[in-house]
This record gives sequence, structure tokens and C-alpha cells, in this order.
Amino acid sequence: MNEAPAPPRELTRITCMVQHLLEHQVLECLAALGVQSILVENARCVRQRIRPRAWGLPGHVTTLDDAPMDMFRAVVPRAAAGRVLRELAAAADLRIPGRGMLYAQQIVEFSRTPPLMITPDDAPSGMLRDMVLFTCILSMPGSGERFAEVALTLGAGVPVVSYGIGAGIRDRLGLLRITIPPEKEIVRLVVPAHDAAGIRRLLIEDGRLDRPGGGFLYQTPVCEGLIDPLLRIGRQQHAASMEQIIATLDEIKAGTSWRKRFVGLPADEDVALRVRRNYRELTFICAEGGADEYVRAAMAAGAGGATTAGARCLGAGMEDGGGVAREIGMLCVPAGLADAVLQALCVVAAQSADEDCRIQALDAPVVFMHQRKA
Amino acid sequence: MGSIPAGRTLFPVFSGAPGFWHDNMSTSGRIQISIWAALSMIGRYARLRFCEQLKAVSFIVLYLVGFQLLVLGSMPSHAWHIAAGIGMVVLGLTMFLEGLIIGLMPLGERVGLKLPQRAGLAVIVFFGLLLGLGSTLAEPAVMSLRAMGGFVKAWDAPLLYSILENDPGKLVVAIGAGVGVAVAVGMVRLYFALSIKPFVYVLVPLLLAVSLYYSRDANLVALLGLAWDAGAVTTGAVTVPLVLALGIGVSRAIDRQDGGTGGFGIIMLASAFPVLGVLVLGMLLNPNVPQAMSEAEFFASHNRQEVMRVFPSEQALVRHAYQRGSSAARRACYRDDAGYRSALLSLADPTARRALLGEMSLDNWLRERASEDERALLARVSIQPEAGRSASGSFLPGLLAGQAAGAFRSVVPLTLLLLIVLLLFLRDRLRHNDEFLLGVVLSLVGMAVLTTGIQAGLAALGDEVGRSLPRVFHAEAREESRRILQPFDPDGVVNVYDQSGHPESVFFLRDQSGKMHGEPYDPARYDPATSSYEHIVRSRPVFSAKLTFAGIALVFLFAFGLGYGSTLAEPALSALGRKVEEISVGTVKRTGVVRAVSIGVGLGLLAGVARILYDLPTLWLLAPPYLLLLWLTFLSEEEFAGIAWDCGGVTTGVVTVPLVMAMGLGIGGELNVVDGFGALALASVYPIVTVMIYGLILRSRQRRSMQAAEEEQDE
Repeated sequence: MNEAPAPPRELTRITCMVQHLLEHQVLECLAALGVQSILVENARCVRQRIRPRAWGLPGHVTTLDDAPMDMFRAVVPRAAAGRVLRELAAAADLRIPGRGMLYAQQIVEFSRTPPLMITPDDAPSGMLRDMVLFTCILSMPGSGERFAEVALTLGAGVPVVSYGIGAGIRDRLGLLRITIPPEKEIVRLVVPAHDAAGIRRLLIEDGRLDRPGGGFLYQTPVCEGLIDPLLRIGRQQHAASMEQIIATLDEIKAGTSWRKRFVGLPADEDVALRVRRNYRELTFICAEGGADEYVRAAMAAGAGGATTAGARCLGAGMEDGGGVAREIGMLCVPAGLADAVLQALCVVAAQSADEDCRIQALDAPVVFMHQRKA
Repeated sequence: MGSIPAGRTLFPVFSGAPGFWHDNMSTSGRIQISIWAALSMIGRYARLRFCEQLKAVSFIVLYLVGFQLLVLGSMPSHAWHIAAGIGMVVLGLTMFLEGLIIGLMPLGERVGLKLPQRAGLAVIVFFGLLLGLGSTLAEPAVMSLRAMGGFVKAWDAPLLYSILENDPGKLVVAIGAGVGVAVAVGMVRLYFALSIKPFVYVLVPLLLAVSLYYSRDANLVALLGLAWDAGAVTTGAVTVPLVLALGIGVSRAIDRQDGGTGGFGIIMLASAFPVLGVLVLGMLLNPNVPQAMSEAEFFASHNRQEVMRVFPSEQALVRHAYQRGSSAARRACYRDDAGYRSALLSLADPTARRALLGEMSLDNWLRERASEDERALLARVSIQPEAGRSASGSFLPGLLAGQAAGAFRSVVPLTLLLLIVLLLFLRDRLRHNDEFLLGVVLSLVGMAVLTTGIQAGLAALGDEVGRSLPRVFHAEAREESRRILQPFDPDGVVNVYDQSGHPESVFFLRDQSGKMHGEPYDPARYDPATSSYEHIVRSRPVFSAKLTFAGIALVFLFAFGLGYGSTLAEPALSALGRKVEEISVGTVKRTGVVRAVSIGVGLGLLAGVARILYDLPTLWLLAPPYLLLLWLTFLSEEEFAGIAWDCGGVTTGVVTVPLVMAMGLGIGGELNVVDGFGALALASVYPIVTVMIYGLILRSRQRRSMQAAEEEQDE
């Protein structure tokens, strides 16, 4: 296990979230590309459904509608990211609104085995650029639904919700920890970078993140991807839906900057919200049951807490169709602490017998969590 | 990522020796919290959990009380006992469910997760067998089954009677072997990530075919209700969540590219294999028992040798004649009238009475079994009272002590088995030892409090309503009990005339609430020697003679509500609902599953009552839903098929079974049916249908969402 040191690898992490019914298309595509380690998490996407009122009454009602999603995560060489994104979008027909979304993020990975080389091509990926991913960790049961509703009402995008387990202060309470539910709802939302500040402010205020115990939100950059514009399902009254018009304009304008809705925020707005800057998102992927040791080590190194989630690892290396249960842990730490925490995580990984453990790091330029006013 | 210098060593070797590697999660840097803050946190947490369970239980309590007050027009007796019992049910459910969630289920999941990683298939199969057999021995459902078979008469169903009364040990082994094989097969299925569907396609037709074959034999047909009910009740309140968690753990460890099986399906197998076990036991024992015959033939002296194959002794035969037979049967047990009369008169003595009537009180026996002649004979002798029941003040503590032993048997052996496997064989540890210990204690105390509360509160209330229920479909007043009025003065009797001038003698009686009622006077019941009058208390029909149809409809409504309400409070279902919601990331809501199952149980009980009221063969009611299920299973997604079939096993748990039994015994006793079996089996199959339909509706809604999006794109 104590093999020779190797440098961290600069890679691209591709996240593809599709309707559960499209699971096979995505897996076949990734297998055909030769991606050898695919992490799959269960999730759900939330949309608004507009339906006529009951008993033929005039008007309509809007409710929330959720559908099961599969969230695939794979790490590929940066040069091949465009090809992988393009082929995934084609395999699952992701340009059709309502089928799912995908995005790529540039990360640094510490792992024993490098990803297999995928032959890059020169064809343009045709993806949207300059986006950000909001990851929101919510503590209150059912708050994911409310947060998703806020995001949909704002027209920010289709939120994808998954479940996780929180570790941190709760674990330092002794047996009293049982009084705090460890379950977390993780909401992911991809929005255009130029609107990020405005949407973030509204998400914080309307999503009640500025209240004690509301949860926290951080922002990570997305280099390219496709977002799902189908925010509402229901009766159509025009020749084309708003989502179709938006998707077409995105394509014509080769981006989403034409959609800019929020003028620049006053400089003191973020200060008033007590937004924190210059953080790192650290992610570890380990064998099922191994996350506790990583979390302990990270917390001993100064991290405030972590959120873990179960996943299954599938891939080309598993010819018999079998998979392995994995755990994914996410931490968001100030840049000043990141090296120490990363070091602690790497120590645990080095001690581990798990050959496929990975640690990934990514900038999180903006973080928001409730702070008691001085 | 400028802060990560290029060339950093990958996984630098750890040189220190920190102590936390072997500590549990909670020990590093513990936060100190003041006692008041801690109490406030505990209070908030306990209140939340308690209110959740209060909500779950409130429907069934309000329903039973409302039914008794508004429809049957009577007040619940022993209201304080019942209220205390219901309070204990809520408290017990809160503690038990919390214990399951923080203690037992994480243990099951951990063992399930590590088993495939660290043990071979043979060990997994052996462990499955041991767990299944152990769970049946720990949570014996045979007591419930014997109670349900409380009306079985040896002449109607000799095989069923013999199994319940003479061979309960063999019945336990047959059920235990069934559950053991089921858990082992279930683990193998999860190990190879096989679909549940082929198991359904093979097992269900096989069970139906065997049942059809049995329905052609007079002896074997009586066994069908027991066999199918055995499948329903065998999966107890502790076994279900443990086995469920174990399955989820194994499924997580052995996941497949196609999405896996989700870990559901073992409970379904644990419901099907015991049915097969009991059917096989019946086949083996059938040659040793006489065929079904009429009561007169059964007790005839020329059949005595044949009949004695069912009874261990002559005394047992006599006892059976007293407890379940008519006066002719009792007379046939003695050589002459003198012997018969002398035995009857011996009922005045408490010891002889207990030997002949068992737990049945003399009042009940006189009302339900004795002929007019026998009543007249016994009316002439003074009856020595039975030793009184324990004082009301010590009733609950005594019951609690008995239930605590049962809770210990249910929780501790299974937990120990899993713990030993985890610590010694799998060489693994629990995530939080303190949390696990607290969970086990909460499960233990919670189960004892819950079952005590059910016995003292919910089941007592259900029993009262169940006993009164036949009044709604009977047109004439029925004898309820007898009371001796002493001293009684016949001068207080007056004549009341009807419109045609016909006189009727009545006397006035004040009831418990102080109201006066005119009661008919029968001079034959007045004994001048003792100045006493034997007053027969009669329950009045709820409806007039022309409204018995409405009465039957009311019984159906009651059965549906009872099934629906009791299932809402079922802890194993709550645990399954949580797991389903967790695994589906909220796309399948816990409340949706619980409601679908509750509606199914309601429908099942409705069918069960129809079976008792109209004496329908169990198979007629079981076969159609099972055949429908074969088709629904074919249409369903793999994961939902597993969830739905498991729901069939979790429905009949600690809350539902006593209430269903109370209702079944109430109606069954009134109608003099062969046995009260079948209702539980029906209450297990209909929830599978409703959950499967619920899953198909969800799936079709999801498909429609996607299709709508595609259609919008095409337009």
C-alpha cells in the first residue's frame, strides 16, 4: 500500500443526471467510451406541473412533480471531456428538455490508478459554457422540496435532489447526537455564471438559508455542460414552449449570457449576506463503510464536517455486470485549511486497502452558511 | 487549483499513531452542552417522535371509540385501562421504532453489507437458515394462530384440530423451516442479484395448485386457512425490519449494473415458504387422523377408537365436548344419565369447572354452549365463585411483566445472533456502540410497553367492539349475560298493555348510568326460597329486522376501517416505508406506501369478513388476487415488485393481528364458524395488489412526464 508517491492528476469530472428510464443508454455509452469507473447515485429531479383545476373549474393549479434520476459521475482526461460530453448528450438525447442534464468540472484527483486514456477528437462539444453549480446541503427534512420550489419559481433551473448523511458537530455531541437527524438533502442546481450572484441571493433569502439550521450552500465552477430547461410540465398553449424557445436561443447565441436577468449586485450585498469566499470542495470516494475514518481525519485536521452518501461503482472493469458499494464524502473547507485536510484524507487513503479510493479537489469560490450576528 | 502544488506526494505515508483509528466517531473533541440545553434537545426530539406516533394511532382509536359510541351506542367499559393502554401503545411505538432505526436496522444493514464481502455463499446460506429458524422460535406466531383456531371443532376439521392442539411443536418447526429456507433462498437471490419475478412465477402458482388439490379433501381443506395465515403472521415486528435491513445491506454490497434488486423480496419469500411448510406438514399428518364427520358420529361409541387418534386422553375428549360441543356430545361421553348429570353438577366446583371448561367462564359456557336443560339443572345448585382476577390496580404491571418476557425473547436472541456474526465471524465493528445499545434498550422496553398497551387498550377496545359487532347484522335481541337480583320482590312487577289490550309483565331496572328501563318479567326465573330473580341481560339489535342488510354493510365498513387504521400504526410498515423513501430518494413517499398498504389491508379484512359471514371457501378469495398479482408483477418494475411483495409480509404485525383476531373471534364466535382463519392471509394479499397498482401509477406518471417533454419537442 505504501507505493511510490505520484503527482496529483488534473482531470475533468463529468456528472450526468438523467431520468431513471435512460440509465441503460448512459451506461452503454460510458462503457463504449472505455470509462472504467462510474459512480451512480440515486436522485430525483423536481419540476412544476401545471394542471387544470378539478371539476372543470376555471384556471389551473401548480404542483411539484418529481421523477427518479440516476446521477452518473466519471473522471476522464481533460482532453477527452468534450467528446465524452457530446456522446453522452447524444446517447441520452439530452438536448430534448426533460430528459436530464450533464456538466463537466475541472478537478485535481489523488488516486492510485489513473483513468484510462480516451481518444480525444477535435469536434466541438456544442455544450453551453460559463456556468456554476450550486450545491446546497439542507438539514431539515422536506426542506429540499421547498428549496426546489424556490429555484423553479425563480426559473433558475431544474434542481436535482439526493440524500446524504451529515457528520460533523453532530458527532461531537456524544449520545445526544440522536436528537439531531443526520439525514441531509443535497440539492444541485446548475445556473449561468452571469446570473449566479442574483440567483444565489434569492435562493439564500427565499430558501431560508439565512436562518439557523437552514443548511449551507456553495458554488463551484462548471466549464461546460447542458442544462435541462424543462421547468414546468403541463398543458401547452403556444406553438412552442418557453423551454424550447430558450433552448433554441441558447444554441443560436452559443451560450446563456443573453439570458442575464440580474444586474450587477452592489458590492455590499454579499457582505450583508455574509457570503464567504475562497473555499475548496474536497470529495473522497471510498469503499462502503470506510467514510467514517476519512471524516474523522478531516475533522481532526480542522474541517467543520462532511456529508456522505452511498453510491454504487459500475464500470467496464466489471464484465459480469456486478458493482461495488461505495461511499462519497463531500467537504467544503476554507482554502487555508484545504492543504491540511487534503493531507489528512490522503493519509487515510494510503492506509486503506481499497485500491480504488479517490480524493478530488475543486475550487469553491463562494460559500454561504448562517452565522450568528455579532 | 493553485493552492495544490504540483508534485505533491500521492497518499503520503502516515507516520503518527493517533488514537482515533479505533475510537468510535463520537469521541474526538466532544462538545460540552449544559444540562438544560441537553434536556431541551431531548425534549424536542422526544416530542416530535411521540407526536408522529400519536398521529399514526389516533385514527384507529377514534374509529373504534366512535364506532362503539355512535353505532353500537355503548360506552367502552374499563375506560381508564383502555386509555392507559392506548397511551402505552403510543409511547411503546415511539420507543420501539426509534430503537429499530438507531439500533437494530443499522446492525442488520451492516451485517448484510459485510457478509458477501467476507463470507462465502455456504456461510451466507447457513446464516440465512439460522436467522429464519431463530426468528420463528423467538417470535412464535403460533399463539396467535391457536387463538384464531379457538373455534375449531375436532369433528369438523380433525387434521386442523390435531395440528393446533396436539402438534403445535411440529407446526412451529414447519413454519420455522419455511422461514429459514426463505431467508436462505432470499440471501442467495440477493447474492446473485436475481430478480424476484421468477420466484413469484414459480411459488405462487405452486401454492395455489397445492391449495386447489387440498380443497378436494375434506380434512386438508380445513388446513388452507391456517397455512395461508401462517405465512402472514410469521414475520414478526423485529424479524421484518432486521431481515429487511439485512437484505438492503447485501443488495448494496452486491450491486448490479442493471440497478440491482434494492434488497427487497426476502419478506415475500418468508411469507410464501411457511405456507408450503404447513401444507407439507398437513400432507404428512393427514393419514394419522380420522376424516371429518358429524358431531353425533364423532362422539358415537363405535367411533371412539378412531376419534381417540386426535385426543391424547379420554379426559381431553370430554373437555372438548364441554368447550366446543353440544349437550348431545357431552351426554355421549358418559355411560349413563347419572354420570352425565353428576359431571354437570360438578361444574359448581371451581376445580372441576376449570378441568372441564379451561379458561372459559361458567357464565360464558351457560350462555354459549349449554342447552336449556343443562342451564335448568345448574340453576338449582349454588355455584362457588371463581378465584377473583387480580385487582385492577395490579392488572397493568402484571401484564407488563408478561409482555416484557416476550419482548426479551423477540429482541435479544436475534440481535445477539447478528452481533456475534458481525463481531466474531465478520470481524467488523458497529459505527456507534452507544447508539446501538440505546437502540436495543429502546426496542426492548418499547416492545414490552407496546404489546402491553395493545393488550390493555387497543385489543380490549377492539374486543369490545368485535363482541358487540354481530348486533348490527342480527335482527333479534340476544342473550348477553345473566344477573341474579336479590332480594327481588315480585310485587314490583307491573302489567303493561299493548294496543290490542294484551298485557305483559315488566319490572323496572336502573342501569349503570342511572336510567330506568322496563324489563320483561319471567315468573319461572323467580326463586321464592331465596327471594332471587335470574335476570337475562339481552343486547338489543342496532337495526330493526328489515335493516340487516345495512347492518352487514356496516360490518364491512367496520372491517375496512379497522384494517386501514391499524395498519397506519404498524411499526414494521413504518420502517419499510422509511427505507423505501430513502432508497427512492423521495420519489416514492413513505406516506404513499403506508396509505396504499393500509387500503389493501382494509380491503383484505373486508374480504375476510365476507368469508366468515357467508362461509366462503378461503381459496375462492385468495386465488383471484394472487392470479391478478402474477400479471401485475409481470408489468411492474423489479424494485417495486420486491417492495410490493414485501408489503404483504409486514402488514400483519403487532398492532393489526390482535385487532383482527378480536374482530374475527367476535363475528366467528357469533356465527359458529369452523375457524377464524383466512382474514390475515387476505389482509396480506390485498396490500400487495394496492402497492403494485400504486407503483404502476407512479411509473406511468413518470413516463408521461418524459413523453410530454418529447411531444413538446416534436410539435
